[in-house]
Amino acid sequence: MGFVRAGVFSMVGLVALSFASFTLIALMPADPVEIAIRAWNLPATEETVAALRADWGLDRPLVQRYLHWLADFVTGDWGRSFRTGEPVFAEFRARLPVSLVLGLSGLLLAIALAVPLGFLAAARPGGFADRGSRALSVFVQAVPGFWLGLILLWVIGVQFRWIRPFANDAAAFVLPILLIALHSVAVFCRVYRRDMAETARRPYFRTALAKGLSHRQALWRHAHRSAFYALLSAVRSEAGWVIGSTATMEILFNLPGLSQFLVQSIAVRDQMVLQAYVMVIALWLLVMNALVHLALRLLDPRLA
Amino acid sequence: MVRTFALTALAVFLLLGGLWQPHDPDAVDILARHSGMTASHPLGTDHLGRDLLSRILAGGWRTACVLLSVGFIGFTAGTLLGTAAAVLGGWRESVLLRCCEFFITVPTLIIALTAAAIFGLTPLSAGLALGLAGIGPHALFAHALSRRVISQPFILAARALGVPPGRMIARHLLPNTLPLMFSHVGNQAGLAVVAYASLAFIGLGADPSKPDWGSMLFEYRVFIFDHPALMIWPGIAIAGTVAVLNAVFDDPD
Repeated sequence: MGFVRAGVFSMVGLVALSFASFTLIALMPADPVEIAIRAWNLPATEETVAALRADWGLDRPLVQRYLHWLADFVTGDWGRSFRTGEPVFAEFRARLPVSLVLGLSGLLLAIALAVPLGFLAAARPGGFADRGSRALSVFVQAVPGFWLGLILLWVIGVQFRWIRPFANDAAAFVLPILLIALHSVAVFCRVYRRDMAETARRPYFRTALAKGLSHRQALWRHAHRSAFYALLSAVRSEAGWVIGSTATMEILFNLPGLSQFLVQSIAVRDQMVLQAYVMVIALWLLVMNALVHLALRLLDPRLA
Repeated sequence: MVRTFALTALAVFLLLGGLWQPHDPDAVDILARHSGMTASHPLGTDHLGRDLLSRILAGGWRTACVLLSVGFIGFTAGTLLGTAAAVLGGWRESVLLRCCEFFITVPTLIIALTAAAIFGLTPLSAGLALGLAGIGPHALFAHALSRRVISQPFILAARALGVPPGRMIARHLLPNTLPLMFSHVGNQAGLAVVAYASLAFIGLGADPSKPDWGSMLFEYRVFIFDHPALMIWPGIAIAGTVAVLNAVFDDPD
């Protein structure tokens, strides 16, 4: 029941979002036809403009264009790029894996690191792990990931000469994942620790201690599940942040991902690409939301 | 005391750039390129001989514009919507809250990215987009605050005395919520600085000739081998600004 309701809500939200962005993008001040004529050195006559408009369907009313686009989008025809003339879907299919790998492995790495770090921080409040994770969360809030990436490139690339900066090698893939994970580790770790500290004040936790469990054992057996639950809830908001930081990482490390394509398309007001990007981001958020929701249900049987 | 001092220093640093720079930030002086730190160029010059300190100051002014518009929009609209939801109650309350929750799920940077994609990136458009994106969380926060105040006995007493609704909001509700709202907005301001720098770094429709901290980092990243100082200073400006903002409007975790 809950699933059907959530599914219907997301579909309605998705359609509303697509219409809003379609309208907004169509109302953009710059005219793609003018830009294309300049870019391709076409004669700026009435016929060329009219032909281009008819070809791209720009001469029809907005609602009709939207419905046409929606029907095409659902069947996998995401239109042609105004800039390159290539199908948008093919371009996205080639580039999406890069962004997905960056984002997903960053998130997974962050979860994997945040659990032990948060556990150590909770096991010894005021200890090294606790103070370290607090400092880390202050640090990542103030220092943007792309600048940290530049500094890292300078230190390990130029000073130590371990890697070649801006080369398209494995380091250009590993570094961005680490940088994306760093921010999420700090967030997850604090969430995890805070929830553990709350559980440790509960009566049942004292009972567990009275039964003879050590503090660490009690934390792991009786507080970990609830703390992990809190951590997974934080994944939902972090998923958006992660996809945003893949954008700067793709530019910095010159990776052929989605955001790089977006930046190239924005200058020429490539409507089909912009619209597809908005939809892909919305879908990513929806999927992450659903995945987290599923995982939460597995963790907490009371929700099911 | 320290907080007031830090905030004043930051404000002077950011606003100074709008009024005065030691050199014209866009003046090209090919003879003085990569001059290093000298008396007339305290932070050195870039590959075109433009003064780095002037460019950072000018970028600070642009960042300040973003900060002010984000703060203004988020603060006014968030307080208005959140307070309205709490005061109105009933189905209007739940509709307002549902809308805010829906917008919260879309990340700030993505909204700004889309807005910059559509309207081009200027301090004003970025501030507008980031501010609009901030309305959701601010409204939810204002709503929670107002609910808590409304449930207190003195509101009941005021209502029993026959205080009209407008006066109730102005005299009894807002004075209790506004200070907390203000520090909450300040707390989110650091995020806006980083988001604006990220947008400028990506280079979305930004005017590349205008000095922004983010676009400077993008432009100077190629000098990482020979002149790393060029990409260190703008980064310090970003990190310093955000750190001061976060420390002043500290959120007790």
